[in-house]
Amino acid sequence: MNPINTFVPIIQGLKITLSHLFKKPVTLQYPTERPKVAERFRGLHALNVSHNKAKCVACYLCPTVCPAKCITVEAGEDANHDKYAAKYEIDMLRCIFCGYCVEACPVDAIRMTGEFELANYSRKDFVYSKERLLEKK
Amino acid sequence: MVNLTIDDKQVTAPKNATIYEAAKINGIKIPILCHDKKLKPFGACRMCLVEVEQMKGRQIPACTTPVTDGMIIRTSTPDIIKARKMVLELLLLNHPIDCPVCDKGGDCDLQNLTYEYQVNANRFSDEKFHHEIDYSNPLIERDMNRCVLCGKCARICDEIVSFGALTFISRGIETKIGCEFEGALNCEFCGSCVSVCPVGSLLARPFKYKARFWALTNHKSVCSYCGTGCNLTLGVKDNKVLTTVYDENQGFHNGQLCCRGRFGYQFINSDKRLTTPLVRKNGVLTEAGWDEALELVASRLKGSGASAAALSTPRLANEELVLFKKLMETAGSANYDHSAGYAHAALTEGFARSFGATASPATIPDIQKSDLLLVIKTDSYETHPVVGFEINMAVKNKGAKLNILSDKRGKLSKLPDATTLVHTPGCEVAVINAMAKAILDEKLAAGSAAAIPGYADLEKALAGFTPDAVAGQSGLSAAAIRQFATDYAKAGKALIIFPIGNAYPGHNADLASAVANLAILTGKFGEGSGVLCMAEKNNSQGAVDMGFYATSGLNAGQIIDGCASGAIKTLFIAGENPVVSYPNRAAVTAALDKVEFLVVSDLFMTETAAMADVVLPACSFAEKEGTFTSVDRRVQHIKPAIGKIGKSRTDFEIFGTLIAKLGGQAPATPAAVFGEIAASVPGYAGMSYASLGEVGAFAPVIVKATFVAPKAAVVEPVAGKLALVTGSVLYHNGTLSQFGEGPMYVCPEGYVELSRGDAAKLKIEENDLLNVASATGSTKLKARITPRMPEGVLFSPYHFGAAGINQVWSGAPVTWVTVTK
Ligand code: SF4
Ligand code: SF4
Ligand code: SF4
Ligand code: SF4
Ligand code: SF4
Ligand code: FES
Repeated sequence: MNPINTFVPIIQGLKITLSHLFKKPVTLQYPTERPKVAERFRGLHALNVSHNKAKCVACYLCPTVCPAKCITVEAGEDANHDKYAAKYEIDMLRCIFCGYCVEACPVDAIRMTGEFELANYSRKDFVYSKERLLEKK
Repeated sequence: MVNLTIDDKQVTAPKNATIYEAAKINGIKIPILCHDKKLKPFGACRMCLVEVEQMKGRQIPACTTPVTDGMIIRTSTPDIIKARKMVLELLLLNHPIDCPVCDKGGDCDLQNLTYEYQVNANRFSDEKFHHEIDYSNPLIERDMNRCVLCGKCARICDEIVSFGALTFISRGIETKIGCEFEGALNCEFCGSCVSVCPVGSLLARPFKYKARFWALTNHKSVCSYCGTGCNLTLGVKDNKVLTTVYDENQGFHNGQLCCRGRFGYQFINSDKRLTTPLVRKNGVLTEAGWDEALELVASRLKGSGASAAALSTPRLANEELVLFKKLMETAGSANYDHSAGYAHAALTEGFARSFGATASPATIPDIQKSDLLLVIKTDSYETHPVVGFEINMAVKNKGAKLNILSDKRGKLSKLPDATTLVHTPGCEVAVINAMAKAILDEKLAAGSAAAIPGYADLEKALAGFTPDAVAGQSGLSAAAIRQFATDYAKAGKALIIFPIGNAYPGHNADLASAVANLAILTGKFGEGSGVLCMAEKNNSQGAVDMGFYATSGLNAGQIIDGCASGAIKTLFIAGENPVVSYPNRAAVTAALDKVEFLVVSDLFMTETAAMADVVLPACSFAEKEGTFTSVDRRVQHIKPAIGKIGKSRTDFEIFGTLIAKLGGQAPATPAAVFGEIAASVPGYAGMSYASLGEVGAFAPVIVKATFVAPKAAVVEPVAGKLALVTGSVLYHNGTLSQFGEGPMYVCPEGYVELSRGDAAKLKIEENDLLNVASATGSTKLKARITPRMPEGVLFSPYHFGAAGINQVWSGAPVTWVTVTK
């Protein structure tokens, strides 16, 4: 066996390793370090609020368009006889984060945020109710 | 037929067709917005513009222009498309475009056309409307801001419903649809206007915001209220019937329904539905398993023989009634009946002896083909409202003459040229006999009449019924009776219509034979003629056809008596609520109290079910398969639209299991039973579920005419008392409609209707609580004062459990009562 053939690759490898020791690391020290998500990132949904009310008028377009069939809307009638979402629920376990719901909404009532930390302990906690989805200000 | 060219295609069309109809027949689509096939051409919206070469290429509305021979029509030139776009732009100018919150979204003609013609910008600008929205009505919401002024609502309410609640108000840009003096909507609540409104101006409030139309699964079915047998489409989502969906191509009635059919479906998914069997233990109804409950019932029925009896509602499907009968036969009893035992007598006794058949020799479509309609009781409209629409159309569009014989005036009396003879209550048979007598005397009878069996006896029996003799007792003039007789005899085609039902004990076998005599005497049979006896409930005619009534055993009245005397020890009641719907509540309650073992299968904990030892939760029509037979013997197939509620079972399954437990053999499927029916019931031969399809099939009726001399009861007035007559109210049918929201919004409780004259005499005001008392008992009911009631006569509907009129009424056609405040 030729010793050169044995050691040259090892030395070359160590050279690369050595060079990395002096470079800026790519690993993000999550969770102590936070990633910066892109503007168009499609994370957890938020229901937009205007005049202290969810903008959603329960038109049923998002549950209709949703390919994962994970949105449940139930319309209600408020004191002014206006339509509002008495129930608005997204099952995040089924959501494929396609963003169709946002696209379908005729009144700009729903958007997708940068929120991606959706891990949880039990299945039912993945069902986001209207209260949890309302945008936090 | 004329020949014409539409879009370069050579086509033919009937001479009286419009361009729109001609195109439609030939598969060419012209968009419409204000046109409806049921209504007269109107031409309000200009969506249907087409070009006709002979008219120098002018754009003309297709829906109002009749075709002529050789017409050359173009339906979609660039100019026309432009014009239609402009029509839409102008409509959208004032339209709020609030589709996201409008319930019509997804089913809206304006939305669809806007999409189709890609109107996504507007060259004009103007203010939107600011009409006040009427939210006050529990059934119909009116938002005139969305209205496109097509006039369909006002037209249907006038042309078909003949109520005239809606009309155009104001002129020009201010035009809107409203009620008289811009008041609240107070009408029949048939929902016809809602169904034809092309936009979201008129909406069904019970369905408001419940779901989008595209989320509903539509199931075709048949209305389970009255015997008209209207076809329905149930809109189902998540195993719930959320609404009835309008389908203009459904049934003889083109999708028209009455208040009960359109707004009364909520009983299907009501929270009050029974969901589990109950067995009485230590005096309390306690939840039990099916096995336990059915085992108990079977052990009671086994070998019980004539000590067992059965009462059924005629709402059950034909297949179920056949099994119920089989169950009783397996138990060794011939005691079974329906409809209080007397309400079907017009068919089972009257027509049976006069026509040799237990069904009507006429159909609902005959109404519009007739020249003269003789209607017994204005209530015919209330009992069978969609038949009432047919009468409206026959009179208003086809020029049929309408003669009414009634104990009060009613909606039908208001039709153009209708003549109503208001007779004293209870003497309808005498008046009809007098008409027959007049026909004989004036030699208006058909030549062949004398050869028909029973002629001589009839002649003899009618001797005492000269119009002059009957005039006094009936409060009519002899001339009026004679006029009715001549009108009837001289009409080319004449049809007699009368309702029967629990609340009409006077419409009995004698009345049936009396009207049958008129038809037989004058030979009025065949298309547009005959006699139409309208049985009350969705399958009343079917119950008669299946023979579910007393033939060798006890009838319903005798069964109740038997319970009271102890002769009947086990009583099985399926779907019936005798405590409310049979006369004399005290007697019925005492009898049901007395009977040793009472089984009730029902959808709800009714007054009767509450007295039972075993309560079995049954399924509604929306959860089962079977057939219903309408008043004119149209046999229609229903299929499950939703899954069963709770642990409920169909009556078919209940009876089947019990038969097996008694050691009998029960057919496994409704289809198998229908096979038996087709093989054994006259007129049903050759039918199968497949052959019935969506439209059903008529079971023909073969008449073997015989004259029968009907007995005319004489109702003696009682001094100082008022004559109470019972009946049905427009919004209700039987006792089931108490569980429908629509009917209960409009008419939540019983009442007693009296004339203005009597009200003035007794110093009664509208809504006063009156004590109505007879020899049978008393109850407290609100007063309703109306101009339609003759003096001395009271009317009260019978559907209600609370303060029921059957506490006062013992089953006589006329009850003499006193009324105090
Ligand atoms: S992102 Fe896509 S899958 Fe998720 S809720 Fe919206 S439409 Fe449904
Ligand atoms: S599409 Fe928008 S307005 Fe409609 S239900 Fe969804 S979030 Fe609400
Ligand atoms: S519900 Fe019927 S009666 Fe009332 S306005 Fe509409 S069409 Fe006329
Ligand atoms: S309310 Fe509806 S049906 Fe009536 S005119 Fe307006 S758009 Fe037409
Ligand atoms: S209740 Fe009678 S008239 Fe009314 S929709 Fe039902 S079947 Fe038709
Ligand atoms: S559909 Fe012809 S004018 Fe409206």
